[in-house]
Amino acid sequence: MASIDIKNLKKAYGTFSVLHGIDLLIKDGEFIVLVGPSGCGKSTLLRMIAGLEDVSEGEIQIDGLRVNERHPKDRDIAMVFQSYALYPHMTVAENMSYSLRLRRAAKETTARAVSAASQKLGLDPFLERRPKALSGGQRQRVAMGRAIVRQPKAFLFDEPLSNLDARLREQMRAEIKKMHADLKATSIYVTHDQIEAMTLADRIVAMHGGVVQQVGSPLELYDRPANLFVAGFIGSPGMNFLEGRAEDGGLRLRDGSLVVLGALSKDLKGQEVTVGVRPEHVVLHHEGEGMSARVDLIEPTGFGIIVHLQLNGLPIKVFTLDRSALSCGPNIGVTLPAEHLHLFDAQGIRQGA
Amino acid sequence: MSVAATRGAPYHRKPWLKRMADSSEPYLYSAPALILIVVVMLVPLVLGISYAFRDIQLLNPFSGGYIGLEHFRALGQDDAFYRALKNTLWWTGASVLLQFVFGLILALLLDRPFWGRGVVQALVFLPWAVPSFLAGLNWAWLFNPVIGPLPHWFFALGLMDEPGNLLSDPRYAMWGPIIANVWWGIPFFAITLLAALQAIPRDLYEAASIDGANWFQRFSSITLPFLAPTIAITVLLRTVWISNFADLIVVMTGGGPADRTQIVASYIFTQAFKRLDFGYASAIALVLLGLLMIYSMLIILLRQSLINKD
Repeated sequence: MASIDIKNLKKAYGTFSVLHGIDLLIKDGEFIVLVGPSGCGKSTLLRMIAGLEDVSEGEIQIDGLRVNERHPKDRDIAMVFQSYALYPHMTVAENMSYSLRLRRAAKETTARAVSAASQKLGLDPFLERRPKALSGGQRQRVAMGRAIVRQPKAFLFDEPLSNLDARLREQMRAEIKKMHADLKATSIYVTHDQIEAMTLADRIVAMHGGVVQQVGSPLELYDRPANLFVAGFIGSPGMNFLEGRAEDGGLRLRDGSLVVLGALSKDLKGQEVTVGVRPEHVVLHHEGEGMSARVDLIEPTGFGIIVHLQLNGLPIKVFTLDRSALSCGPNIGVTLPAEHLHLFDAQGIRQGA
Repeated sequence: MSVAATRGAPYHRKPWLKRMADSSEPYLYSAPALILIVVVMLVPLVLGISYAFRDIQLLNPFSGGYIGLEHFRALGQDDAFYRALKNTLWWTGASVLLQFVFGLILALLLDRPFWGRGVVQALVFLPWAVPSFLAGLNWAWLFNPVIGPLPHWFFALGLMDEPGNLLSDPRYAMWGPIIANVWWGIPFFAITLLAALQAIPRDLYEAASIDGANWFQRFSSITLPFLAPTIAITVLLRTVWISNFADLIVVMTGGGPADRTQIVASYIFTQAFKRLDFGYASAIALVLLGLLMIYSMLIILLRQSLINKD
């Protein structure tokens, strides 16, 4: 197990820059999730840590040792690929023992490591099968087994659950979490799925456009997003945003109407701001109370209800567990509680606490 | 509906003509193809085989009679035939092996990206487009000390005592056509192996290098298993083609000097078109056909057993 220290890491393909100086210290045993939309550089960062991509600038240290110039095989890390990348002509057991056989580990050690891993992952009945004869979930397990047999310094996961169906993804997510609790191995996990990020991570690294936007625990990112990108990316349904000018008593929207928001911070008065509020924090009332809004669409999810509203011409989503919302409309009253508002300045940076 | 109808009236049968038409339907559909195959393939084949049992010499107007196994008896005592058989093994083995090795190296080199790869790929495949007759002439001239540079280079390198013609040296004459054949046949292996190489998923190599495999280990545990089926089929095909392939030898050496480069295929050519003994040539061709069929069967069996093991 090891710590990983990334210092001012940059990556460019020719003149096209992909990562613009990443700094990140990953503690021993930590589960880090790199999350962001496609093309944000998260996979590139992971592949640079693995040694599959060259470092353009900056430094990667594993356990305090610079590994920039080391081959992947000399970094003592394991990686689980989105495509699983199992060796098709080898059986499950051979796939899992390949790295140990390359290291010329003793036969008994190898056999013990493989059987321990296969037991943990429930692969015992499949050890003599080829990957071709396995289902997607089983292949995924073999890929994880291949990673855990040799007890590497760190595990790297590159969107490992993206090829599975929703039900299986949920199940494997829980298994990965259990495995991490078991092995306490330093792990870096790349995903574009924020549910995976929220459920798995000790700390989430939210990335956008080759820049780290925020690093923090899942709830920190959820409750106190550092900027508009993180606020919009984390959470489903996504956060509502209202743009306008801060005034006494509320927010003056572009169309001149005033949204009553209670007290906005005094020093922002007169500035262009964006106010964010999560759908579950918007409070619905009967028509006449609060601000008046028009009901556009009602989406029952079974667990709760998503109500799409028009508030002074702005689309607002509301998530509620109250089933009476199903029959609401055509007009309804809403309030945006002051304690749940997120305030961002014109640059999209979080203001206030 | 028709099922219900037949069940309902088990004793009712279709008219005789209708039944005939129904049962002959598949044969009628495939008849055009079958007739074509019989006319252009089977008839010449049977005629050719029949020559092997007849005395057919173009220069002898009284020949043409049935002589049974006489040709084969003569063949059994024909030293030139045995030498040609041995030469065929040597010629085929060396050509296929060298073509394969160089073709594989070329494919591996062309598989990695570099500037101008498209142009180089196109150029590399050019020899395959050269007619074999022209390739033979070209190489014969290259080996000719009067007009070709090769003997002088060999001499300068100390490989030859004097800049002589490789093709007229009984000890090394076979190398001339083999070198020409290797030059001509490398692209075939390179094209097919490159296609197979490019079908290997890249992340397998990445997974292997993370697992700790060096270049050679990645090659032997990923590249080779993936290429194996292609290698098996191309080597089989080329072996059959090359052992039948007399163009280069006929053009470059005509089987000489002193039959040192005579392979069975060129021996058949010599018997048929120089000595004009079609009967004897057919008998030799029949033996070659038999040998190649045995070889193909062996390879197919080997392939089957490999597939079953999977």
